[in-house]
Amino acid sequence: MMECGKYSNSSSRRQLLTRFGYGLGAAALGNLLGAPEAIAADNTFPNFAPRAKRIIFLFQAGGPSHLDLLDYKPEMKGRFDQDIPPSIFGTQRVTGMVAQQDRFPVVPTMYGFKQYGECGRWLSELLPHTGKIADEICVMRAMHTEAINHDPAITFIQTGSQLPGRPCLGSWVHYGLGSENANLPAFVVLNSLPGNGMADQGLLSRLWGAGFLPSMYQGVQFRSAGDPVLYLSNPPGVSREQRRTVLDNLSALNQHLHDRAGDPEIETRIAQYEMAFRMQASVPDLVDTSKESEHVYEMYGPDSRKPGTFAANCLLARRLAERNVRFIQLYHRGWDHHDGLTTKLPALAKDTDQPSAALIMDLKQRGLLDDTLVIWGGEFGRTPYAQGAPKPDKYGRDHHGRVFSLWMAGGGVKKGYAHGNSDEFGFNVADGGVHIHDLQATILHLMGIDHEKLVYSFQGRRFRLTDVEGHVVKEIIA
Amino acid sequence: MSGKLVCTIGIGLTLTTLVAMAAEKTLPDYGRDVRPILSDNCFPCHGQDSKKRMAGLRLDSYEGATADRGGHSALVPGKPEASAIYQRITTEQASKRMPPAYSNHTLTKEQIATLRQWIGNGGQYAKHWAFVPPVRPSVPETKDRAWVRQPIDAFVLQRLEAESLRPSPPASPGAWLRRASLDLTGLPPSPAEVDAFAAEVKRKGEGAYAAAADRLLASPRYGERMAMDWLDVARYADTHGFNNDAARSMWRWRDWVIQSFNNNTPYDRFITEQLAGDLLPKPTLDQRIATGFGRNHVINSEGGIIDEEYRVSYVTDRVRTLGMAWMGLTLECAHCHDHKFDPLTQRDHYRFFAFFNNVAEIGEDGRVGNAVPIMPAPTSAQQSRMRELEAAEAKLQKQIENHKSAWSAEEVTRIAAQATEPADAVLRMHCDSPDEFEKPAASGFALQPGIVGQACVTANVDPKPTTGGKGVPVSAREPLTFSLWVRPAATDSNAPLFSTVDYATNIAATSYGKGMELRLAGGELEFRFADHFPAYSIRVRSDGARLAPEQWRHLTLVYTGTTKKAADRSQASWVRMFADGRELPTVILNDGLGIPGETSKPQLTHFRVGWDNSAAGPRYAGRLDEVGVWPRALTGDEIASVFHKQALPYAVEAARQKRATATEMTWVRVALNQKERELESVRSELLALQREAPSMMVMQELEKPRETHILIRGGYNTPGEKVEPGVPEELLGAWPAGAPKNRLGLAKWLTKPDHPLTSRVVVNRFWQQLFGQGLVKTSDNFGLQGEWPSHPELLDWLAREFVDSGWNVKGLLREMVLSATYRQDSAASKELIARDPENRLLARGPRFRLPAEIIRDQALEVSGLLKNHLGGPSVYPYQPADLYKGIVVAADYPGTKYVESTGDDLYRRSLYTFWKRTVPHPVMTVFDAPDREFCIVRRSTTNTPLQALTLLNDPTFVEASRRLAERSILEGGSKPEARLAFAFRLAVGRAPDEAEMRILQKTLDQMLTSYKTDEKGAEAFVSVGSSHRDSTIPASELAAYTAVANMILNMDETITKG
Repeated sequence: MMECGKYSNSSSRRQLLTRFGYGLGAAALGNLLGAPEAIAADNTFPNFAPRAKRIIFLFQAGGPSHLDLLDYKPEMKGRFDQDIPPSIFGTQRVTGMVAQQDRFPVVPTMYGFKQYGECGRWLSELLPHTGKIADEICVMRAMHTEAINHDPAITFIQTGSQLPGRPCLGSWVHYGLGSENANLPAFVVLNSLPGNGMADQGLLSRLWGAGFLPSMYQGVQFRSAGDPVLYLSNPPGVSREQRRTVLDNLSALNQHLHDRAGDPEIETRIAQYEMAFRMQASVPDLVDTSKESEHVYEMYGPDSRKPGTFAANCLLARRLAERNVRFIQLYHRGWDHHDGLTTKLPALAKDTDQPSAALIMDLKQRGLLDDTLVIWGGEFGRTPYAQGAPKPDKYGRDHHGRVFSLWMAGGGVKKGYAHGNSDEFGFNVADGGVHIHDLQATILHLMGIDHEKLVYSFQGRRFRLTDVEGHVVKEIIA
Repeated sequence: MSGKLVCTIGIGLTLTTLVAMAAEKTLPDYGRDVRPILSDNCFPCHGQDSKKRMAGLRLDSYEGATADRGGHSALVPGKPEASAIYQRITTEQASKRMPPAYSNHTLTKEQIATLRQWIGNGGQYAKHWAFVPPVRPSVPETKDRAWVRQPIDAFVLQRLEAESLRPSPPASPGAWLRRASLDLTGLPPSPAEVDAFAAEVKRKGEGAYAAAADRLLASPRYGERMAMDWLDVARYADTHGFNNDAARSMWRWRDWVIQSFNNNTPYDRFITEQLAGDLLPKPTLDQRIATGFGRNHVINSEGGIIDEEYRVSYVTDRVRTLGMAWMGLTLECAHCHDHKFDPLTQRDHYRFFAFFNNVAEIGEDGRVGNAVPIMPAPTSAQQSRMRELEAAEAKLQKQIENHKSAWSAEEVTRIAAQATEPADAVLRMHCDSPDEFEKPAASGFALQPGIVGQACVTANVDPKPTTGGKGVPVSAREPLTFSLWVRPAATDSNAPLFSTVDYATNIAATSYGKGMELRLAGGELEFRFADHFPAYSIRVRSDGARLAPEQWRHLTLVYTGTTKKAADRSQASWVRMFADGRELPTVILNDGLGIPGETSKPQLTHFRVGWDNSAAGPRYAGRLDEVGVWPRALTGDEIASVFHKQALPYAVEAARQKRATATEMTWVRVALNQKERELESVRSELLALQREAPSMMVMQELEKPRETHILIRGGYNTPGEKVEPGVPEELLGAWPAGAPKNRLGLAKWLTKPDHPLTSRVVVNRFWQQLFGQGLVKTSDNFGLQGEWPSHPELLDWLAREFVDSGWNVKGLLREMVLSATYRQDSAASKELIARDPENRLLARGPRFRLPAEIIRDQALEVSGLLKNHLGGPSVYPYQPADLYKGIVVAADYPGTKYVESTGDDLYRRSLYTFWKRTVPHPVMTVFDAPDREFCIVRRSTTNTPLQALTLLNDPTFVEASRRLAERSILEGGSKPEARLAFAFRLAVGRAPDEAEMRILQKTLDQMLTSYKTDEKGAEAFVSVGSSHRDSTIPASELAAYTAVANMILNMDETITKG
């Protein structure tokens, strides 16, 4: 299964690399489905023994409120409608949406928190299922970012830069480590349709784009409607046998051309057509969840039967992980609760709570959790102060990047652990702050990559996911 | 701060082994061999960035390197062992070793040897080659003179001879024609063209090539092909980018590009007009359209972003694009700090920035359509109709002037008596009594003589007055007409007349910036209709009302309302303005009003009269009379009628009393003259055309330039030292004498014949278009980290030739395609591939996979589906259903739904495909097209299974296959062999050889057998696409041919320029 057609045997591989300027890192030779490759001795990835072989990123776009979900702040109780003290507020950059607000009144969460698991993790009543995996996850409570608006913030956490143009995390990992599955893309993207919640901000294909890396490293979207991969199905009236016949002849024509023209690119093309043919079988097999047992559906919740929901995508993510797909990126949208947080947040939490927890348990049962890193979180958190005038049980919160929370599990991360703390208002980092670049450095580290060594030269400069920053958060590594 | 900052900067863009191989081994050349090592490994800490400089040591200049550092120097010319540089790179002591371990950089033995040799040789520095103006080199002598057809070839051959390599034999005439056609027109030659060309070559020999090149260069398709690459560079798209990614309308700029290439506009003008067309003396419409280049950048409409942060990023993008497109420099690297490699300071960056910092733009904009500044850009058809109308207007005006007849009061009175006022007004205020207002218990209400009866003055009314009646129904979907008389006071140069716009509430409130308003602004009428003022609003001002203090004037505003969401058409075009019954031209100041959904109902609204709710806003101090509001768009005749009814009796009376003003006498004269009515209808058609012209975003200078400051660490909110616009003259050449310090001067500087970069960068990119890669492979970087040119003298020769020819693009391309270098066969032996895998030495012809656009266009062309309309709004060919689902924003902005085109627009060239930045068309992205978020000067060329799936299964290619099959059956002859050969030739420009024919035959036989037993499958297969299938051909036969045609369209040779 590690066979990659003629490509991997071709003596011209190295030349191809040079030809397209892939540089040394391309030793991973990220042909889209590339077979795992021996890597050039001068730049070997992984740099050290990896803790995780693959990543599932459950991205919650819009900025989930850490204060209502993961970051328990009993100190805020009783401070309803009091102003955030200037000492806490500091030089907070506020968005244009609250810039004219004459005061910034505290609004404590209206949701109950309780302790879960042996570790006694405090979690919101909106996350009962997450509570069941409290002893598996590591809650990062002192994340912080620089951006205060969605587009730059999402772009930042996904690509290490607020401005477009850089490769995303998945592309970097694909580029560095290559693929472990010859029949499926190494980097798969699953966008979720609204289940109970509402879709909101648009996503951008650059979030799974390869930036300045060759475009073969971009994420391949799996879709819930129509072809799971664009143009995967044969046209109506073309059977798999007919396709095979034509491809055999096409291959003969291309081989004939290669004999004359000599261009190694032709051999690659032949191999890619074979890969395409294999994908036509492997992808439908992957997305066909009909043989999953009843208790699996029960575990992931009723939405898991509706294709395209976050729950159904979590189930697909597990199937992709089973097939050794390197990077599985899920998106769930709709967390941007400027107003009406109290009506919208429960629905959003319901969309994601059960399936996310089910994914962890499912991976664990199958022995996959140890080498699969799962990340749950968004681009920033939400303000402890209300946007507009608050009521105790009716409020909204603006974007907040100074501190927020996410959780990670599996793949070498400490279980039942919490890292870092926000201050008493959930406003600033109190201790254990983790910058976006630190998170990225840590993720790469768990994959066995030294984030300072994963570089690509573009327009005269060496680029990294972590730019010129990033510290591995050693404390969270088991 | 650790040394970490160093570690990611710096890069190993060394010369290819090949280039190094060619160099004389004995003496390292500073620029080619030494500086790349120093630049990559040493300059980050010992270079030009003074803030990051370590130990106060500079190694990027001879003076710095040889400076006395207390008895020793980093560089002691001629003495490597005495030079600290050499000591530190060779020391065994890890803590002293350079580059330091934390930098992740190490020097190879070869690099150390090179540095040693260089120091031994005297350690001389030289200015970077690309910063020295190109000098025309003499064309070299070669041993083989016969091979050389163009001077280009002499340079190439000289190098090959030095390498003991022979050029490849010439490609066949047909192969050359296909190559040149794809390169110059983006479309393959037809078999007839191939045949004719082969015959011409036999008849005329060499002359046939030149004639063919001229034919291709003269084709209108040439401009489309050339535009394709430029759209990447200029980051053209049909949406704004960022997560709202709403549609914009810039296709008039795109069409300008196509026309410029087709007209062979000298390239210095091509640069100048795009950078500064608006600043040229008396700029033409086309020259202003050209400036859309500066506005093609992404624009963010995310609610709540900080305007200045994004405005700065737009200006930065202009600087970045300028640097990349024409100078091959990464200017943006100096946005936050001095450039790490190139001798460009942060100050240099902000001096460039200052040129582009004077646009009246808003940071958060573009949610509904184009972002200001904008202008109507009529199409050429509209322009010619306008010219006709303007001629008619001038003629009528002359006739009117020559015909100033005496007037009779009786006649005027008769006209006034016939005039009527539509009865369906929703608000009618005679302004004769405070009772007409909503709050009648007001004080301060004053009456003055009016146009009809009394007029009111409301400036002192307390509480502030609002309109009476039941309220005016207001909705962006519904039409509305306002008619009123004003007699402004001297203080009313900026005064609200009717207003509901909320300027006062908290900006976070949903009501903020919402409302409708009529106001006086500088003697003109201004209309505002806003969702969120200012960005999301219509703001239109009359042009020519010229209201004067203490003069009665009649004003009418018509909002025609719309239900259409179209970025292509200016929304503000729903606004018409009239003064004294005659329509006025308008200026669109903003154009971003959203259209609510169908279920929304008009709001019954009371307007503030003579004031708005902004803090300390002025109150209208003049008189107001005869206000009428109708819930529909009144016609021009109706408006004239209302005006006549109210104005003429007043004018007659004034004339009788001999106190009529010149303006009032004009009312009478106009009313009496039949020609005036003709003139009015001509003018109104002209204005309608103007309003309907496609909108586009342009560059426009603020009256008072913004101050530009160096932004400390690049922060929009951390301004430092103030700077003036300017360029690094010492590095790149003096500012042209007398040139203005604005974008026009910048263009003049950039196009100076001896500018070291512009011509080199441009010819290198054209070379890249034809040969697959530039002579400088890093076509995006001519700086110190860029790659040394493979043929430096050839590059300079081409650059000089280009400039001296008057920046003649067609001439340059002609020379290239006619060269023996270009004409070589692209086939290569294993040995040659091993020796020169990238073909940098050019011992064979170019062979590269075609760009995305050409792959699709070619399939449409060979199948006969392609529709060649040049230009126009972007189109929506087949795209998988629901592609946007789960990705695009939930709000219903323009451009968030993909509505497939019908008819011809399904088959237009790909450069016309709607380009949505966040979700570009998949056929484009799968074949490596960028998303156009910023300037890209070279695409990657990948080879993936998704490309295979696309060519095999996308309905575009399946339909093209079926049409190609039909063509081959109907036009290819009666025998299968002839038909197969026909299809094959259409795709690759040559006949199949025997082996290929066997495979084609075999495939056809297999498919025939298979489809004979599968009628239903055959029918389904040949029914893909919206074009009708030829029903005279049996389905099974057509299906079999379609399968073969699809295979042909998938052949490597088909999608490759070889």
